[in-house]
Amino acid sequence: MKLKNLLAAVISLALGQLCFFLVEPAQAAPFEGTIVAAGDSLTAGYGVPERDAYPAQLERKLIQYGYHWKVVNAGISGETSSGLLSRVDWILKLKPDIVILETGANDGMRGVDPKVTGANIDKAVTRLQAKGVTVVLAGMRMFANLGPTFTKEFAANYTTVAKKHHLILIPFFLEGVAGVPALNQQDGIHPVASGYQIITNRVYPYVTKAIDLKRKKRIP
Amino acid sequence: MHNSIETKALTKNYRIGERSICVLDSVSLTVAPGEFVVVTGESGSGKSTLLTLLSGLDRPDAGRVFIENRDITDLDEDTLAPLRNTTFGFVFQSFHLVPSLNVLENVMFPAELRGDPQARPGAQALLTRVGLSDRLTSFPNQLSGGEKQRCAICRALINNPRIVFADEPTGNLDSVNGAAVLDLLLELHRERGTTLLMVTHSPEIAGRADRVVTLKDGRIVSDQTRV
Amino acid sequence: MSSLRFVIRQIAGARRQGAIFVMCVALSIVSLVSLGSFSRSVQASLLRDAQALHAGDLIVHAHAPIPASLQTRLDELTRQGRIATARYYDFYSVVRTVAGSRSLLCDLKIVEPGYPFYGRVLLASGRDFRQVLTPGSLVVEQSLLDRLQLRVGDRLSVGNATLTIKDVVLQEPDRPVNLFSLGPRVFVPAADLNSLGLIGFASRVEYITLAKVLHAGELNGLLAQLRAAVGESRIRIDSYQSADSRVKRFFDNLLFFLDLSGIFTLLLAGFGIQSTLFALLKQQEKTIAVMKAVGARSRYITGHFCALTLVLGLVGTLVGLAASLFLQEFLPALFHGLVPARVELTLSPWAIGEGMLIGLFVVLLFTALPLYRLKEVRPRAIFGKEESPGFSNRSTWVITALGATFFLSLVLLRIRELKTGVYFVLSMAGLILVAFLLSSLLLRFLKSRDPRNLALRQAIKGLFRPRSATRSIMVTLSAALAVIFTISLVERNLDASFIDSYPSDAPNLFLVDIQPDQKDAVAGLVGSGASFFPIIRGTVTAINDSPIDPEQERRSRGDNLGREFNLTYYEKLLQDEKISQGGSLFRADWNEPQVSILDIVVKMHQMKVGDRISFKIQGMPITARISSIRTRSGSGLTPFFYFVFPPALLSDAPQSLFCAVRVPKDRIPELQNRLVARYPNVSVINMEETVSVFGHLMARLSTIVRFFTSFSIAAGVLIIVSSIFATRYARIQEAVYFTILGARRRFVATVFAAESLVLGLASGSIALLIAQVGSWAICSKGLELDYHPYPGTSLGLLGATAVLVLVVGLGASLPVLRHKPAGFLREQSDE
Repeated sequence: MKLKNLLAAVISLALGQLCFFLVEPAQAAPFEGTIVAAGDSLTAGYGVPERDAYPAQLERKLIQYGYHWKVVNAGISGETSSGLLSRVDWILKLKPDIVILETGANDGMRGVDPKVTGANIDKAVTRLQAKGVTVVLAGMRMFANLGPTFTKEFAANYTTVAKKHHLILIPFFLEGVAGVPALNQQDGIHPVASGYQIITNRVYPYVTKAIDLKRKKRIP
Repeated sequence: MHNSIETKALTKNYRIGERSICVLDSVSLTVAPGEFVVVTGESGSGKSTLLTLLSGLDRPDAGRVFIENRDITDLDEDTLAPLRNTTFGFVFQSFHLVPSLNVLENVMFPAELRGDPQARPGAQALLTRVGLSDRLTSFPNQLSGGEKQRCAICRALINNPRIVFADEPTGNLDSVNGAAVLDLLLELHRERGTTLLMVTHSPEIAGRADRVVTLKDGRIVSDQTRV
Repeated sequence: MSSLRFVIRQIAGARRQGAIFVMCVALSIVSLVSLGSFSRSVQASLLRDAQALHAGDLIVHAHAPIPASLQTRLDELTRQGRIATARYYDFYSVVRTVAGSRSLLCDLKIVEPGYPFYGRVLLASGRDFRQVLTPGSLVVEQSLLDRLQLRVGDRLSVGNATLTIKDVVLQEPDRPVNLFSLGPRVFVPAADLNSLGLIGFASRVEYITLAKVLHAGELNGLLAQLRAAVGESRIRIDSYQSADSRVKRFFDNLLFFLDLSGIFTLLLAGFGIQSTLFALLKQQEKTIAVMKAVGARSRYITGHFCALTLVLGLVGTLVGLAASLFLQEFLPALFHGLVPARVELTLSPWAIGEGMLIGLFVVLLFTALPLYRLKEVRPRAIFGKEESPGFSNRSTWVITALGATFFLSLVLLRIRELKTGVYFVLSMAGLILVAFLLSSLLLRFLKSRDPRNLALRQAIKGLFRPRSATRSIMVTLSAALAVIFTISLVERNLDASFIDSYPSDAPNLFLVDIQPDQKDAVAGLVGSGASFFPIIRGTVTAINDSPIDPEQERRSRGDNLGREFNLTYYEKLLQDEKISQGGSLFRADWNEPQVSILDIVVKMHQMKVGDRISFKIQGMPITARISSIRTRSGSGLTPFFYFVFPPALLSDAPQSLFCAVRVPKDRIPELQNRLVARYPNVSVINMEETVSVFGHLMARLSTIVRFFTSFSIAAGVLIIVSSIFATRYARIQEAVYFTILGARRRFVATVFAAESLVLGLASGSIALLIAQVGSWAICSKGLELDYHPYPGTSLGLLGATAVLVLVVGLGASLPVLRHKPAGFLREQSDE
């Protein structure tokens, strides 16, 4: 096994391409598929250990319930929708079957025009779907103090894109967590482990739906 | 044959505050080589002043001083230095030994100044001669008055000077030590034929001199040679 | 009073030592009063500023409406007439022009009429803020008008309401102009809060209640009360004094260091006082002996000399106060730019009083020993038969112990930290002990020397004159010089690390977050000479397969592996770095991913060439083998990267670009505007400003430190002068003796020059040795700088010391050579 990887590495280097050197603990059985959780600090798990962020919790829950799927945490704190769009190809290198797309919050906090955010998400989804990825879109909402027009346009992005591309939509990613002091850190924005637990439970049914979809597609 | 010491019309005034005191008033004196002259007089008669002027340790206000026919009156300190080193020897009432040097080093010093390689053996010989061979490494503050003066005498003689100036050499000593020191001085004077000019107010010492010059109020009032 | 005249005549007779005594006292006073006044002026101004900086006395800060219990408390206090309150709300919102065509993210502040309790909101029209911000009005920053193309008088849509822009705000008291903000400021009156409809459940708003304490002394009491009321909740209550301020902390540190140097000056000046008094009394020894011989009691004599000391002390104090007044004229210029312009540097009466009190104590302390010793002078001293008192007297120890206690308490009073105070006093004691040991060793060595040259031999013998205090002089000199040398060496190292190391051709503009497809266009804008670095964000997950715990890492004090890093890739070393381990940046013979690390990384976690680091790069796990360790010689103001990969590995990774370029200063503003307009995602950092401000700051600081430590140097010089003058008599005596025995002037001058030179070089060398060790310890352990011994500077300091001692020594002794020996002999015999 190691020798084959080594050979692959040498060949890749020679071709000047990216070399993966995936460090995998020995598994009893290989994963059925890969889910990539792509997003910002709410995905990366800013302020909590990685095992408490929602992707890790999700993987454990999936495995617990018999879904032998790998969940990769591809969250980057502080990233805007532009950033996410720019790394779609990098994410695709992980060969994801399903991508949970959670982005836009940082755009909102910086007052970026919701039209720009919407366009970015749209393009990202298009490129992912072109490669056969099933996209689960996490809907986001912005703070009310930013103004009624802004918040309305912001929230509309997700429903619009989901509708256009027939995506599985999680209506509001932070439902039940946002605004609850006990579930969030001091800054009031980032959840704590218990908050992510609620998020994981909320995301779970949508992900299993995606998994079922994927399985159906695999059967020739 | 030249005179050892000769002065002409030596005058010295001291200014104290706004007053001026005349200590020496036109004194003229000659001393032949090898003579033992005692200069005596009461306190304030100017005898110590005369000594300092004759030995070049001070400058007169008027008059001239000749040493071996050489006019030393206006010579600067650096030119007087070799004279003091090899021609003169000084013995003081207050000893004036260098406190940071021991007995041997004090005596060696004038010879070392001259660059004499035999300074050490020469000093040791002298010190043995005066009975200080067991005090060579002692410092002046560890010596008695008599020992200090004996050491000073050795220092004065180390370079074989032709003229020895002694200012009240026994002034700070008891009678026993004083007599011993005086005998020593005279013995060495006779041995080497040095000119010895001594200032004292002791009539006893004056009695042993070849010639006694008496000063009073800055003038020579008598100059008697003993027969 | 006849004894007063006697005292004055005695002082006139001991002019030189008396003058040095006066100067030492004056030095202490100047040092104490200047420093004390400076310290008080700064603190008063900072506090005054702090009130304005927070716009109130008490600040209650929360992310949600404050609980009813707290509100009731505040209302109660208001009713009692002890406080006045004003609330405000701070949050971001997107405002729109009425037509709706343009919108802008803004920083809103909804304020109640009481705001601000201190400081003023400056408006462009010059009118009173409270009168302008009436219900339905807005006061906005100019940049809002520019960005939305509006004018004063136009209407703006904020939340659900539409309000009229009435004026432009130039300055807020509680928000320094340069504070980073995502949008321009908009002031809204609290009366319109509800009509905005922006504050509700899902809002991110800061709720702040300002309170003005109406009775001055109640501040801390009320603060404690209110804090107890909120307990553990997420509400933060501060007073303007307790609220954190970087400026305050900076000045606390600076004043701390200056206080230490002030105390050291006092110590030196004290030694100067003691040594001059010893010398003065020694000169008067015969007089004292005569006084005792004619029946004067010890008490009378001690009283007489106490009066003498007091007269000198008084003169010194007056001189010191006059000098302080004089200095005040120049201090503002000295501190200009460093201290906020609002600080008025004046002589504070408190500082004068405190200075005089401490000065008095120092004089009493350091004159105690010499005056106490007076009783040991016996009448037989008239005859010169004197034994010197030994050092192991009980009285010496008692007085020394008292002195040490006094200084410890003084140090603790000023520094207020027991541990640091004790360390300081212990290190001072240690310094003197080491100086003592080294001096004894060196003197023993010198004593055994027997140089062939007569003059040199005499010079060394001269150091060991009976009853000479050569060792004490050497110890005092070495100790004083050691501190002065240490200060100089540490300053040199600080200068080198910060100021000198920023090269003039270094980049002055950093551009961050450039997207790869913008690279060519940006390169075109900034011109040639720009370096672009790819930035890929990633974290470290494991070293040699053992995982990193980010929580634990973040607990370490310095930089740690628990954070996100900016990874990059390149093939050639940067200009200011070199390889310290590994031979070459990357190895051609390795077939796995490699990474080159900076030596700082090794400080965070043990690792060596050949170890493996696991990264998470944009969600991708990658393990790379350490191929080399690099080290930097830069100042920290040029770009550097902890982890560098070979290009092949990461060139495909999602990356942004970082650009470092040097641009002519006058082009910067225009370039900044163009970049921001065309590429709003790019952040521009103007290093030119940062560096020049920083450079100025360091230069100012250095000047201030040098100013206050120069007092120590002056004290050290006084000690040198005093010591040399104290031994003047013995040297003159020797000079005359040598002359009588036939030595030329040149010989005598050589002996004294050699003696002074030996003393100066010996003390200086000991001081230099101690200083090098001390500076090394301070720089590498305390300040974590690279230490350079600066042999050039060291030799220069040594040389300067030797020259100083030489000049003073010769100056004190040589004049005697101009006169005929008889004069001296006459004076001697007179006594």
